[in-house]
Amino acid sequence: MDKKEFLRVLQACRHKMIIASFLGNLVSALSVGAAVGIFFWTAAFVIPLYYAGIYAGLSLFLAFMTAVIISFIRRTSMEQAALWMDSFGFEERIVTAHENLMKEGALITLQREDAMRQLKAHGDRIKVTLLPPGKKIFILVGLAVVLTGLAIAPSKTKEYAKELHNLREEIREKEDEVEEVVEALELLAQEELTPEQQAEIQDMIESLQNSLSEYHQASSEEMAAAASERLNYKYEQINSQLSAMAQSMQNGASVSGAAAESMEAMAKKLRDMSGQELAMGNGAGTGDDQSGQKGGNGENGTGGKGDGNGQGDGNGQGDGNGQGDGNGQGDGNGKGRGTGSSSTPHDYVSIPNAIADSGNLTGSAVNHDASEYFYAQNGLSWEGTHMSHEAVIGSYEQNAYEGIAAGKYPSGMEDIIKEYFSSF
Amino acid sequence: MGELDSSRLREPEYMAQRVAMCETEIQKGIIGQRDIIRQTMLAMLTGGNVLLEGMPGLGKTRLVSTIGKVFDLSFKRIQFTPDLMPSDVTGTNIIIKNEQGSVFSFERGPIFANLILADEINRATPKTQSALLEAMQEHTVTVGNDSHALEEPFFVLATQNPIENEGTYPLPEAQLDRFMFKILVRFPSKEELRGIVGLTEGNQTPVIEKQMDGRGLLAARELVSQIPIADAVMDYLLGIVMETHASNPHIREGASPRAAQALIRASRAKAFLEGRLNVSFQDVAEMSYPVLRHRIIPSFDAISEGITEDDIIGKILEANGKV
Repeated sequence: MDKKEFLRVLQACRHKMIIASFLGNLVSALSVGAAVGIFFWTAAFVIPLYYAGIYAGLSLFLAFMTAVIISFIRRTSMEQAALWMDSFGFEERIVTAHENLMKEGALITLQREDAMRQLKAHGDRIKVTLLPPGKKIFILVGLAVVLTGLAIAPSKTKEYAKELHNLREEIREKEDEVEEVVEALELLAQEELTPEQQAEIQDMIESLQNSLSEYHQASSEEMAAAASERLNYKYEQINSQLSAMAQSMQNGASVSGAAAESMEAMAKKLRDMSGQELAMGNGAGTGDDQSGQKGGNGENGTGGKGDGNGQGDGNGQGDGNGQGDGNGQGDGNGKGRGTGSSSTPHDYVSIPNAIADSGNLTGSAVNHDASEYFYAQNGLSWEGTHMSHEAVIGSYEQNAYEGIAAGKYPSGMEDIIKEYFSSF
Repeated sequence: MGELDSSRLREPEYMAQRVAMCETEIQKGIIGQRDIIRQTMLAMLTGGNVLLEGMPGLGKTRLVSTIGKVFDLSFKRIQFTPDLMPSDVTGTNIIIKNEQGSVFSFERGPIFANLILADEINRATPKTQSALLEAMQEHTVTVGNDSHALEEPFFVLATQNPIENEGTYPLPEAQLDRFMFKILVRFPSKEELRGIVGLTEGNQTPVIEKQMDGRGLLAARELVSQIPIADAVMDYLLGIVMETHASNPHIREGASPRAAQALIRASRAKAFLEGRLNVSFQDVAEMSYPVLRHRIIPSFDAISEGITEDDIIGKILEANGKV
């Protein structure tokens, strides 16, 4: 055996040791990764954790990368390989020979020859086990089985997490969408517009930002749906307002055509986003400012441009979208949305069915009919929910007693309040 | 194998064989005590001195005299007593009258030999002990203004009795450090005792033959000093010495740097004696006991708990792993 052969044997052993070390590290790291994955999947049974699978996968991936990095950093050196080989009864001959491989000297040469001779004679003693100990592998397999079982086992919490995730996704999409519209409106506000138009657009932006807040606060599907419903309505409103604004700009020719085009484009975009074909007047609208007929005059929802220049002071719109200088009104009678408004921005008002008999809402509280929102002078009504009288009274009573406990009322009033509620 | 072939003094294999033959030859005259013989041989191969601790009558004198015969070295025995003076060891200047008048002449003491058995060294006063220890360290003797070199190879084998400490002067740690090995001579087993009795009380006296000479021993030392030590082994060795200085409730003072030097030399010698030209972890571990046991000062806790120096060394080796 010469130096070259000696080095070759040493190198071969080193390579085997590197592989064995990597496999050992890999099994250990994957076991840790699997344990972390089990932790995530177990947690997903208790708390809604939609990304448990991704976290578990990430844990395993990180474990793998850790094993690779550790194995690379701690890769076996030639000296370590030589020491390992020596542990098979070579009494540090190999490591000594390797260290002095390039040195010359009578004794060093003799030592090297002795090491090579021993290695040649007893090289078969050297065994490098590539696979990690069976116990480690068994643990890893066990952890993998548990991990898989937890991953595929169904649970209500998992379902709930999925639903919650979908809701969040939906909300995020809507938020992005709203932000996009807000940005577009902000750009539009930079066009050459009259102060009134600027203010109107600013109101639109604020209104949309309110919707953003609603989405932020939405914690259930119902809340998100309600927010979406309101948003769609706002889109329609904004669309109408923008269309009208564009029309008036074109008519007045007081500003650049580009601004009008932008508005028109924006309006079209909002129409698309609201997902509805809006009914629009096609000109020569004859809508009575005061009585705004259901369905308006003009054709419904064909996308025809026209925006109905109705008679009178305002720009009468089909389907009761009366517009104008605050005079045109379109009280939607009957089912369908009425969008008449004054120039003053309105608030949303939720009116429970309990007062549906007021005449401004559809449906009857007695019959528990469903009602729908509609324009009512300066406000907007939304569909409410039914609550029993007992529940309402109970809620009031509870609040009252809490107020008493907190010392909110004058001492003389406490007994009156108690007496009042005890009379029910 | 016959006479030592002076032309092959630089051949490691040949020299290792000759040393091994010396060991075998010594074992003819000493029954049992193989470890003692081995460690004494190792000390000789490295130029170190040995402190033997054991009860009287365990064959210490016989060992030294046998070594002297096998290595063909001059041998002197000095019985240390409280009234022994340094000049009784080193020699002194005396006035000699001749035809020209009176002149001072140096009269050599018993220390002028290759092998010295300093029997019961702890019975002499520190002054006398230090005279011997200076010779051990420097291999010279200074009397008056003159220094006299001792003949090489020079080897001291001192003994001390672990009991009967009354009226003795225990060697201070600094002086103990000059002994390469402290070897504990245990009482022989029944079988060994039978052999000893048979050997000494029988009619047949074993014939001890010369196997080596001083020149050969020096050549062997030269070879031993060239044996390479791998870095990993050196780290292990130094780690053991350093460990004696680490926080250890059983150690009051750790080993000196001289311990590391002695451990290196002893490990090399052991490898050589076993026919190897490299030092192994095992060599270091085995040599740690005789090299370190007199260089570690146990704490009061260790003494009160009955923990010996060898126990402490054993724990250090265990902690360092490898073997």
